[in-house]
Amino acid sequence: MDSNKKYWKGLEELNKTTEFVELNKNEFAEPLPIEEVLSGTGLLNKTPRRNFLKAMGFGVGAVTLAACEKVPVHKSMPYLIKPEEITPGVANYYTSTYEGQAILVKTREGRPIKVEGNPKDIIGGGGLSARAQASVLDLYDVSRLKNPLKDNGDYGWEQTDSFVKSELAAIKAAGKKIGLITATVSSPSTLAVIADFITAFPTAKHINYDAVSYTGIIQGNQNSFGKAVLPHYNFDKADVIVSFGADFLGTWISPVEFIRQYVQNRNNKSLQAKKMSRHIQFETSMSVTGTNADARIGIKPSEEGPALIALYNAVSGSAVQSTGNKVADNAIALAAKELLAAKGKALVVAGTNDVATQILVNAINVKLGSYGVTIDLDNPSHQYAGNDAEFADFVSQMNAGEVDAVFFLNANPVYDYYKSSDVVNGLKKVRLRVSFSDHNEETAAKCNIIAPNHHYLESWGDDNAIEGFYTLLQPTINPVYDTRQAEQSLLLWSDNPAKDYYTYVRKNWDTKLLAVGGLTGQKGWETLQQTGFVKAAPKAAGSYSFNYALDGVTQKMLDHSKELAAPAGKVEIQLYQKVSMRDGKRANNPWLQEMPDPVSKATWDNYANVSPNDMRKWGYVEGDVVKVDITKADGSTYSVTLPVSSQPGQAQGTISVAVGYGRTIAGPVGDNVGKNAFPFQSLRNGTVQTAAIATLTATGDNSPIAQTQTHHSIEGRTSIIKETTFKEYLKNPASRTGEEEDHKDYDLFWQKYEHPTYNWVMAIDLNACTGCGACVVACSAENNVPVVGKDEVHRRREMHWIRIDRYYSFNDKGDGGITEEHKLVNLDNFDDVKVTYQPMMCQHCDHAPCETVCPVLATVHSSEGLNHMAYNRCIGTRYCANNCPYKVRRFNWFNYWNDARFENYLQGDHTALVLNPDVVTRFRGVMEKCSMCIQRIQAGKLKAKIEKRPLKDGDVKVACQQTCPANAIIFGDGNDPNSEVSKALKSERTYYVLEELGVQPGVGYQVKVRNLSESEA
Amino acid sequence: MRRLSLLLKQYSRSVFVVAGLAFLSTSVHAQGDAAKGEAIYKANCTACHKIDQKLVGPALGPAMTTETDDKFLTKWIQNNQALIAAKDPKAISVLNANGGATMTVFASLSDGDVANILAYVRTTWKTMQTAQKTGAPGQTAETAPSDLTIYALIGVILLAVIIILVLNRVIGTLEKLLVKSQEILAAEPEVEAVPVDRFAILKKYAKNKKLVFFVLLTGTLALGSWTWVSLWTTNVHTGYQPEQPIHFPHDLHAGAMQIQCQYCHSGAFKSKNASIPSLNVCMNCHKTIDRRKDQTEASPEIAKIYDAIGFDPKTQQYDSTKARPIQWVRVHNLPDFVYFNHSQHVKVQGLKCQTCHGPVETMKEVYQYSPLTMKWCIQCHKRTDVNTKGNAYYEKMEAVHDLIKAGKPVTEAAMGGIECGKCHY
Repeated sequence: MDSNKKYWKGLEELNKTTEFVELNKNEFAEPLPIEEVLSGTGLLNKTPRRNFLKAMGFGVGAVTLAACEKVPVHKSMPYLIKPEEITPGVANYYTSTYEGQAILVKTREGRPIKVEGNPKDIIGGGGLSARAQASVLDLYDVSRLKNPLKDNGDYGWEQTDSFVKSELAAIKAAGKKIGLITATVSSPSTLAVIADFITAFPTAKHINYDAVSYTGIIQGNQNSFGKAVLPHYNFDKADVIVSFGADFLGTWISPVEFIRQYVQNRNNKSLQAKKMSRHIQFETSMSVTGTNADARIGIKPSEEGPALIALYNAVSGSAVQSTGNKVADNAIALAAKELLAAKGKALVVAGTNDVATQILVNAINVKLGSYGVTIDLDNPSHQYAGNDAEFADFVSQMNAGEVDAVFFLNANPVYDYYKSSDVVNGLKKVRLRVSFSDHNEETAAKCNIIAPNHHYLESWGDDNAIEGFYTLLQPTINPVYDTRQAEQSLLLWSDNPAKDYYTYVRKNWDTKLLAVGGLTGQKGWETLQQTGFVKAAPKAAGSYSFNYALDGVTQKMLDHSKELAAPAGKVEIQLYQKVSMRDGKRANNPWLQEMPDPVSKATWDNYANVSPNDMRKWGYVEGDVVKVDITKADGSTYSVTLPVSSQPGQAQGTISVAVGYGRTIAGPVGDNVGKNAFPFQSLRNGTVQTAAIATLTATGDNSPIAQTQTHHSIEGRTSIIKETTFKEYLKNPASRTGEEEDHKDYDLFWQKYEHPTYNWVMAIDLNACTGCGACVVACSAENNVPVVGKDEVHRRREMHWIRIDRYYSFNDKGDGGITEEHKLVNLDNFDDVKVTYQPMMCQHCDHAPCETVCPVLATVHSSEGLNHMAYNRCIGTRYCANNCPYKVRRFNWFNYWNDARFENYLQGDHTALVLNPDVVTRFRGVMEKCSMCIQRIQAGKLKAKIEKRPLKDGDVKVACQQTCPANAIIFGDGNDPNSEVSKALKSERTYYVLEELGVQPGVGYQVKVRNLSESEA
Repeated sequence: MRRLSLLLKQYSRSVFVVAGLAFLSTSVHAQGDAAKGEAIYKANCTACHKIDQKLVGPALGPAMTTETDDKFLTKWIQNNQALIAAKDPKAISVLNANGGATMTVFASLSDGDVANILAYVRTTWKTMQTAQKTGAPGQTAETAPSDLTIYALIGVILLAVIIILVLNRVIGTLEKLLVKSQEILAAEPEVEAVPVDRFAILKKYAKNKKLVFFVLLTGTLALGSWTWVSLWTTNVHTGYQPEQPIHFPHDLHAGAMQIQCQYCHSGAFKSKNASIPSLNVCMNCHKTIDRRKDQTEASPEIAKIYDAIGFDPKTQQYDSTKARPIQWVRVHNLPDFVYFNHSQHVKVQGLKCQTCHGPVETMKEVYQYSPLTMKWCIQCHKRTDVNTKGNAYYEKMEAVHDLIKAGKPVTEAAMGGIECGKCHY
């Protein structure tokens, strides 16, 4: 089987394009001018001897003069009055909330520098997303508004208050409408403030407006069960999961929670219990969820409706009609069979925002007995409550001149509404337009008052993401700028008796919420501040009867499908969210912009994903810029130019484009990155739809996409990725680890390294890793990893210490023999690709090849099994990077902390405050790499020494491990046989990457297992 | 000289005290013994009172001089709260005058003790007042010189100018004489031979190969050793003693007063930073101590603390708007790429601060005692036994265990303490 399974990292590698072959010969992306120098042309006339001497003379003189500089005098300023709880040099942790998730905020000397999951959090269980990890950087964003603005001129808070209050009084007297447009508010206290505001101004209306909306599901539940809620899904209770375009491991509703649930049935523990869930994904574009699925079927947006109808019929035992897609037909038959077999433990989800489709999905789930088990309607999610129709109504009211005041909180419809021009025109007729945005953004720019809100790390508040789970938001720093919390502003403007939002929150908790957790009074409040949340016992499942006529529903779906089917010469376009950027609200965050997309590995851009077959058919090459045109039902048109990206797995005849890009007023980092895809959306039957028909026209330009793929060719070494099937695993848990093969032993001259004290090792479960990328951002935050920008990423100079390699593979069932690499080019079937993710960082080899080639001993081995890197000793020969088989060493091409070219990223006066003071920032010309968070190891050891106790397993957690919602990374002491990591490495599935080289890596991987059915295997 | 002036000061003070005592005998109020009173006063009262200034409580000098009813004062001092409870009108007014703050009860003081205190306070206050009165005209005399002295000065200057003019004349005549004699000398022919002779000597030396070799050798050695030494000491700042914004005497605090280092540098036990004390720590003591024991004037250096924290010693009030941090100059600078943790060394290993910082308790102003070079770190890590005793952390470490068993010294180096990544990350 080894022989006919091919892995490749990018299509360049698979297709062996001449460019790739060329690049592959070189270790580094840019050619060295060796030839030129050797042939003499480089020496002849470019630099005459005199110029050389002049330059040298100047150089020597300048260096001497520079060296004569006096040692700078350092000032030390102690606190005037030191807060009791702060010890300079020691971190404090505070509980807080990020988007409904309980978190811990690490502060040093009063400034937050890192966010970690609260280990008791019911959503992430201590895991956090990349976005949460990156959120701390937004706090120090120098482009945040520093004071209120009126008509884009600086304005004082008192003036703002008197202006808004007098306007509001006039509007109230005139009886005109007031709109409070917010992204979904799930905070009980904020909702109470809004309710109070509406009491003061009865013409006001609160509308939840989400850029990416879940109205379809909420309406669907209203129609099906009379309960307009977003259900709480339990992926951990599902043995068979079938998803239609729901990217629940990447962007759908609550991905961190779903990752945690999902891997519970797929990780090492579950496998050892001989249990593994089965996951079938039907989708257009290749999503993170699709890459993790056991079976993934590419379908066009127009095929989704018929496919779901077919599934419903198959599940309910009615006659199944063909969808016209043979692969999908087979898959649906298989899915139906498996779903029925797992009745009561099955789950079908769909990502679409179409009400009719969601009703049908509900019907399927009812048939499968999912309600009360895998779908919980009684303890619903409050994460999204947007109502598309309400907002559309509001926009038309604005245009009709009925609205005199509008407040935007966390909502940016001028950018992300499907018909932005309507919002802009409507706003012109509104007398008082207030934005609470902390940045100047597209909507705020159209407002006459901007009353900048605090960052969440500066705010008091609470959240209620899931019914019965209440989290507290407490500030961890004084406001960095002269901002004010939006709730405070609303309280003041509505003359609320509570003049201070803190007392308001406090009162709300004292009277209502503390009791949920059985707490009372001051003591209860203090307990809450320490635990961060209260939780009520989940409500028992109620009984719901599904009685909605499905005939109308299926008809609607078929109509919709017909509308979406592209005629010849056109393509179906599907919009999606990227894991890093999502709806684009935080486009000004450089960590998120530089985080490679899990699937495409692209940074700093959006693009049109095209199937490789279509690329060939349409004659495009990677990066070709095409014009994407759509004409909507109302005759309006929209077009953007985007580079194309070849994406295996993309359904043929379709393209997909990420939303969240093309911000025009976001800040110096996020301005004009990519193109805006929100206007491709349309409103249909009261909900916003994300699919359409588009025309593609080549423009003749080529705009390369800054991808991190193909940087580090695997050179056909199949021992990097190993995978097996669940069936094989059950027969032999050690299957495909390479145990069966003989390894050559290259230990000729190496001494054996003793690890007398500790042996720090790591185990990574490839079956748990979903590729979400949280570890990448967590590592950047912990280790002061610089941001390099699009150009530098394109030159393959990204600095991430940990990367997640994404390998495509597919089964070639052809002749059964060895498929030669060159034959792969002729393969047609790019639709059925499988994906494996592999987090890759320094492997801390015992016999490290990098150590032997360093001429200055800057990288040496430690007695604790770590590969140390002394930056101040490094002279930048880069020999180590050349000799590293894992290509995990990163070279500082620039002084990223001072160079003007990178000043927008992490150099701002305040931005630099986010740096971890326990880790040095590396200078130009120095090699760096994963240190296994040695600062945390040392800190953990010191803590144990001070407390006079042995170091316990789990005392030291590395940053990537701590944030991983899937617990795919385990770190610890290999000398301790009882440590988690020792146990994990003892698993039969463990193998070491490139083990045959004899470098004895310290990171063990566990074989990827796929739960393939008989017909697929 | 300073000592002499101190002696004089002390002498003058004792003269004042004697004078005061003499005055005392004729005083109407004083019945107690001021010398005894001083001891009692210092033991009991100084935490809250000063004689001339308001501290926590009112300034005692004026208060006890205006209030002549000794019986009331005795009752008040012994148990003011009882008086207040009894609604004594005088007591209530005193209470209100001091913002409703009651005083500590001193039931242990006998009537005689109180009388002694009163005597001490009143006499001291009187001497203070007379000193102020006599001191004031003296000061004006110093600052504004009298007309007489100005005339005297002008006279002296005129005299000096005349002398200078006369001397100038004399010098001029002598110079003329000298020029004349040189003209005579210039006429002689040997003058040209002198430079020729000099060259010859140089040439002779240059031909002496031994000498040339010797000169070159010493030159090379000198230059070489200078290069060697200067390279080794580049960026080594042993002895670095910057001037600090406040002349904080460690010799007084850590030396004479024997204050523990960690009282102020409290971070050393808990954190990587020993930390410079925040000003509220200074104010723990300096709220009441504003001068050296032997000084009569408030110290201008201590006043800098008050300025920085926005404290007004007269009203004993803080004003945070006037506060601004003190910018100390860092003495011990480690490069950014070195991680050093104080608690590791002070708490775990139990090192004395002086091991690295030198005899701080004798330093008038702190200087860098150790070179803080990597060589210096490593040497210590190689030579010093690790303090493993009673620390369960080390018990679980196999390697250490073996060494202890074998009776060998357990140095930091033996546990990997000189590996790069232990300090550089």
